[in-house]
Amino acid sequence: MSTPELVRVTIDERDVHVPKGTGIVETALAAGVEIPVFCYEPRLGAPIGACRMCLVEVEGTPKLQTGCTLTAQDGMVVKTARTSERAAQGQNGTLEFILVNHPLDCPVCDKGGECPLQDLTFRYGPGNTRMSFEKLTFEKPIPISPTISLDRERCILCYRCTRFSEGVSEDGQLVAANRGAMSVITTFEDLPYTGAFTGNVTELCPVGALLPTQYRFEGRPWEIVDVPTVCGLCPVGCNINATVREGKVKRILSRNHFEVDEGWICDKGRFAFTHLRAEDRLTQPLQRVRRHGLEAVSWEQAVDEAARLLREARGRIVTVLSGSETVEQAYALAKLLRVGLDSHQAMLPEEISGALDAYRLPLSAIREADVVVVLGDVPVVERAPVVDLWIKSARRNGAKVVDDTNDPAVPEAERVVLVWSGPGGRGGATVAKLAEKLGLAGRDGCGAFYLPETPNGRGVADAWAACCDDEGEAVQSIGLLVVSGDEAAADENVRALAEQAETTIVVSMYGGLAAGWADLLLPGTSYLERDGTFVNLEGRLQRLRRTVEPPCLDELDWISQLAARFDVGVAPYPAAVFAEVSERVYGGLAFGDVGERAPLRFYPDAQEHVGRESLPEPQQKARRGEIRLVAYKPLFSGAAVERTAELQFQRPQPELEISAGDARRRKLASGDFATVGSNGSAITLPVRVNRRLRDGIARVALEHASGLGGIVEIAKAEEVPA
Amino acid sequence: MAERRVLLAGADERDLTQLAEYRAIGGYQGVEKARAMTPDELIAELEKAILRGRGGAGFPMGRKASLIDRKSAKPKYLVVNADESEPGAFKDREVMAKVPHRLIEGCLIAAHAIESRNVFIYIRGEYLTEYEILAGAVAEAREAGIFGDVDITVHRGAGAYICGEETALLESLEGKRGQPRPRPPFPPIQGLYMAPTQINNVCTIATVPVILEIGAEEFAKTGVPSSPGTAIFSVSGNVARPGNYELDLGTPMRELIYEHAGGIADGRELKAVIPGGSSVPALTPDQIDVPLDYDSLGAIGTFFGAASLIVVDDRCCMVQLAIRSTKFYAHESCGKCTPCRVGTRWMVQILESIENGTASHADLELLDSVGDNILGKVLCALGEFAVYPVSSYLHKWRDEFVAHIEHGGCPFEGSSSLEGILAPSDQHAHTPAGQEALV
Repeated sequence: MSTPELVRVTIDERDVHVPKGTGIVETALAAGVEIPVFCYEPRLGAPIGACRMCLVEVEGTPKLQTGCTLTAQDGMVVKTARTSERAAQGQNGTLEFILVNHPLDCPVCDKGGECPLQDLTFRYGPGNTRMSFEKLTFEKPIPISPTISLDRERCILCYRCTRFSEGVSEDGQLVAANRGAMSVITTFEDLPYTGAFTGNVTELCPVGALLPTQYRFEGRPWEIVDVPTVCGLCPVGCNINATVREGKVKRILSRNHFEVDEGWICDKGRFAFTHLRAEDRLTQPLQRVRRHGLEAVSWEQAVDEAARLLREARGRIVTVLSGSETVEQAYALAKLLRVGLDSHQAMLPEEISGALDAYRLPLSAIREADVVVVLGDVPVVERAPVVDLWIKSARRNGAKVVDDTNDPAVPEAERVVLVWSGPGGRGGATVAKLAEKLGLAGRDGCGAFYLPETPNGRGVADAWAACCDDEGEAVQSIGLLVVSGDEAAADENVRALAEQAETTIVVSMYGGLAAGWADLLLPGTSYLERDGTFVNLEGRLQRLRRTVEPPCLDELDWISQLAARFDVGVAPYPAAVFAEVSERVYGGLAFGDVGERAPLRFYPDAQEHVGRESLPEPQQKARRGEIRLVAYKPLFSGAAVERTAELQFQRPQPELEISAGDARRRKLASGDFATVGSNGSAITLPVRVNRRLRDGIARVALEHASGLGGIVEIAKAEEVPA
Repeated sequence: MAERRVLLAGADERDLTQLAEYRAIGGYQGVEKARAMTPDELIAELEKAILRGRGGAGFPMGRKASLIDRKSAKPKYLVVNADESEPGAFKDREVMAKVPHRLIEGCLIAAHAIESRNVFIYIRGEYLTEYEILAGAVAEAREAGIFGDVDITVHRGAGAYICGEETALLESLEGKRGQPRPRPPFPPIQGLYMAPTQINNVCTIATVPVILEIGAEEFAKTGVPSSPGTAIFSVSGNVARPGNYELDLGTPMRELIYEHAGGIADGRELKAVIPGGSSVPALTPDQIDVPLDYDSLGAIGTFFGAASLIVVDDRCCMVQLAIRSTKFYAHESCGKCTPCRVGTRWMVQILESIENGTASHADLELLDSVGDNILGKVLCALGEFAVYPVSSYLHKWRDEFVAHIEHGGCPFEGSSSLEGILAPSDQHAHTPAGQEALV
C-alpha cells in the first residue's frame, strides 16, 4: 500500500499534518480542537451535513462550511467557533434551533447525563431561549418495537438511525416521514422494527429520542458503573459494557473494538441480559432423592454428593461441554476429570480445527477484501451476526460477495476472504482446505473464517486438550455423565445419552432444562457473571469480567473444592487457572495482559496441544432434484432468549425458505403452504421464496423443523392448516 | 417594444406540439448541425453564446457543460429540471405545453455536447397536461428516429417543491426521499447515480436550438452583453394582463409591467414587485426602472431568479404577504437541515404574532436574527428563499411592521387583500386533479 500524501492544514492557528482527504472533524481533533457534531458519524457512511452544528469558516470560501463534509487539502485554513466570530454565531444559531422544539426534559430523560445534546448545550449553548411560542408536540413515547421506544419531541432529526437502517444493517425499516418541522422518524408502514441489529440505533441517537425500553427509568449516570467485558452469546465476542446498578445488570452497550465489532452489537447480545434474573434461575444445588424428586441441598452436601458420584464412576465418566464455558472453567473441569479421575472422554458440540490458524485475519479485514466467498447455507446473521455486517460493509465498499470458490472473480482478486457459515464444515477444516487450494496462506488481506455454533468452542477445546497428554480408553458404559452448561443440557442427544448413563450431574442456570433427568443439578453462572477468557471465531483471546455477582457459587469455586478431594490442585481464581493454560497454549501470556481491547495474537505453540482430527462430515449430498433441508439454529433462540419477554417478537416465524427454482418446479409461491416430509413424518409450513438460496436447499428455523433434516420431500400442501 | 418570440416562436401560428409542424419551421435542424460538430466544438459554441441558466442561478450553460468529466468511464447524464414550483413562476409549463419539440431538440443537442445517452426530464407532478403533451412529443420524436442513440425519459415528481433543488431532484430521480445532498461533490463530477451529470432548466435547454440556428455569435448580440438572448417572464399579481411575456433580457421592468402586462389593475398604486418568484427580495416602486437581466437585478440587491414577477398593489399588508410566503417555505422545507426545518416554522410563528398584535418591538429584531441564523447556514437555498423576501419586507416596509406592533394588530383592519398574489399554502393540492387517471 502506498503511504497517503500528507497535507498541512491550519485549524484555529494551529498547524497539523494529516493524510490528504482526512475529514476536517478528525483533522481538528488531531490539532486538539473539538468541532461539535450531531449528525456526523463516520461509521454510517458519507457525511450528510444535516445538523449544521459543525459550521466552520474556511479561508477563501465566503459562506460558512460544515466541517463534517470537508476534507483536508493542502494549505487549508480553518477557523472554528473558538477563533471565528462568524462560525460561533452560526453554531450558536444552530444550537438554538436544535433546542427550539426540544422539550428540555433532561431530569426525566434516561439519556440525561450521558447525552451529547446536553453536553454540547452546556459547552456551547446559550443560557436561555428566545423561543416563546408553543413547541411542537407529538404522541410519546411510541414503542417502535418491544425493545425500543421513540420520543419524537426529543428527536433532533440527525438521521443517524435511518442511515444506520439504510446503510449499515441494510434493513430499510426506519425512515423519515413527512416534511419540514413535521418530519418524524418512523418505521416503514408503522410495523415493529425487527432485525438482528435494531438496538444499535439507541446508542447512535445523540439525544433521548430512541431509548431501550428495558432501561426506562432504571438508572441515572451517577448511580451506574459500566463494566467492560465481552459478549458470550455467539462466537464473535463483541466487546461490550455492562451497565450495572446496585449489583444488577441494567443494560448492555457496545464497546467499540474496531477489529471485531466496530461498535455494533446484535439485539440478542444487547437485550437478552435479563436472563440473569429469569424466574427459573437456579440458585441452590438440587439433589435427586428417591421418591421425592429433586430437593434443595446445601453446597457442602452437593460437593459431597458430587464427589461420591465422581469416585464411583472413576474412569467411566463422560463429559459433555457446551462451548460456552470460559477457558478457565473448561481447564479446571478437565484437570479434575482427566488428571484426578482418569476420565478423558469429552464431547464438544463441534470440533474446532486448528488448520484455520494459517488463515487468520481480524474480522475488519473482510471490509477490505476484493472478494468475499460466503459458503454454507446457514444465514451468517443467525450464527455470527456482526460478521454479516462486515460482509455488507465489504459489499458497499465494492467487494464482490459470491457463494462459490469457483466464481471467476476469485482468481482475479487480490484479497480473498472465505467465510464458512455451516452446516457442517468439520470445525473449519473444510474451509481451511479450500483456502489452501486457493493459495491464500501468507497472502496479504486473504484469509478464512469458520463460524462455529458456540461462543468459546475453540477456547474450551484448547483447554480440554492442553490439560493432560493421556488419552485414556474409550468409555464402554457410562458411569457418570457430566453435563456442563445450558446448551448441552438443552440438547436432545445429550438427554438420550443421560438415559444410558448410570448417574448424571448437570450444571445449568435454569431448573427447567434438566429437572427431569439430573441426579445432581448444580446452578450455573452466566458469561456476565464470570471472570475469565474466551477465544472467538478469529482465534482472538478476549477477557470476560464479572459484571455482577452470581446468585450461586461460581463454577471454579466448587470445581476447586472437588479437585482437592482427588488431590488435584485447581485454584479457585481465574488468573491462576489461566496462568496454567497460558503456559501450555497461549505462550505464557499473563491474565492481566489479555487486554481490554484484545489484539489478535498468534500462538505458534498452540498447535501441538490442540492438534485433533475432525470427524468426517456426516452429510447427505442432495442429488439432482432432491432438496436438503437445513434446520438452522436461529439467532433469536436459546435459553437466554427464551427467558427475555421483550425479545419474543424477534423469534423466527414458522416458515420454509425455498429457492426460486425449486419453488417454480413445485408450483409454490411465497405465502403458499408446503408439506415437508422425510421418513414418514411430515410438517406443513408457509413458504417464502428466497432468490438468494441455492436450488436443492430449503431452510427452516430449528424450532420449527420438528426434528426434520437431511433430504426431504417438499410439495404444495393440499390443505391449509387452520 | 413588442415581445420578441424566440423560444415560443411559431407557437401562436402553428400547433408545434406536432412533430411535422415543428419540422415545417425548421425544427430539429439544430440537432443535425450539432451532431456534425465534435462535442468540444459544440461546447465552445455554447460557451460563446453565454446562455445563462434560466432556472435562477444564472450560471452559463456552456461552462456547465465544459465541467462535465466526459472522460469518465461512467455514463454521462443530462437532467432537465422541469419541476417548476416557485410561486409566481409558470414559464416552463408554457414551453412544455406549446413547444415541447424545441425542448426535446435542446436535450438532444446538449446530450451530444456532454456525450450523454440518457436524458431525464423531471417534470412537476402537478403539470399533468404538460406531461401528457411532452410525453407525446417525446414518443413521436423517438418514433421518427430523431433520437439516434440517445433516449429521453420523462419522470413525474410527486409534489415536493424541494425536488426543484438540483441535488434533491437527483435523489428523487434515484427513487430516494427528495432531500438535497451536501456539495461538493457537484453534479458535473458526481451527480445522478454517482455519474457526471448536467442539470439545466427547461427554458435554458429550449434556448439551445436557437443558438444552433442563428449561431452563438448572433445570439450573443441579442439581449445585453452579460445576459444575451430572451427570457420568458411570468407576470402575476395585481396587473391588468397577467401572463408570460418573452422579451429580450435587459428590457426595463417598468416596460414589462406597464406596457406588456397592462399596468396595475383597477387604477390602484404599485406597492412592491417581487422580481424572481416569491423567493427573492422585493423592490419598491422607485426601483422598477431596472433592466431585467441577471447583473442589473443583482446590483440592486435582488435576483433575476425564475424571471417571474409578482406585482403587488397598495391593498396588500406586507406582514400578511410575509406570512403567506413563509408558510409556503415552512411547508416545503424538506426537514433535512436544522436551520431551515426549525427556523422557517419559527419565522411563521413570529410573523403571526406580529399580525395578531401579540408581538413586541423586540420581536422584529428576533425575526431578523432568526433569518440571519438561516442565511448562509443551510444545506441548500430553500431556507434562504424563506428569508430573502421577508427580510426585504421588514427593511423596506419597516413602518408597516412597527405599525402592527403599535396598533396591537394589523393596521389594515381587514381591508388588506392578497388576491392574486401567491396561493395560500393550504391550497397546494398534494393529489392534483386527474392524477388518478394515470395510476
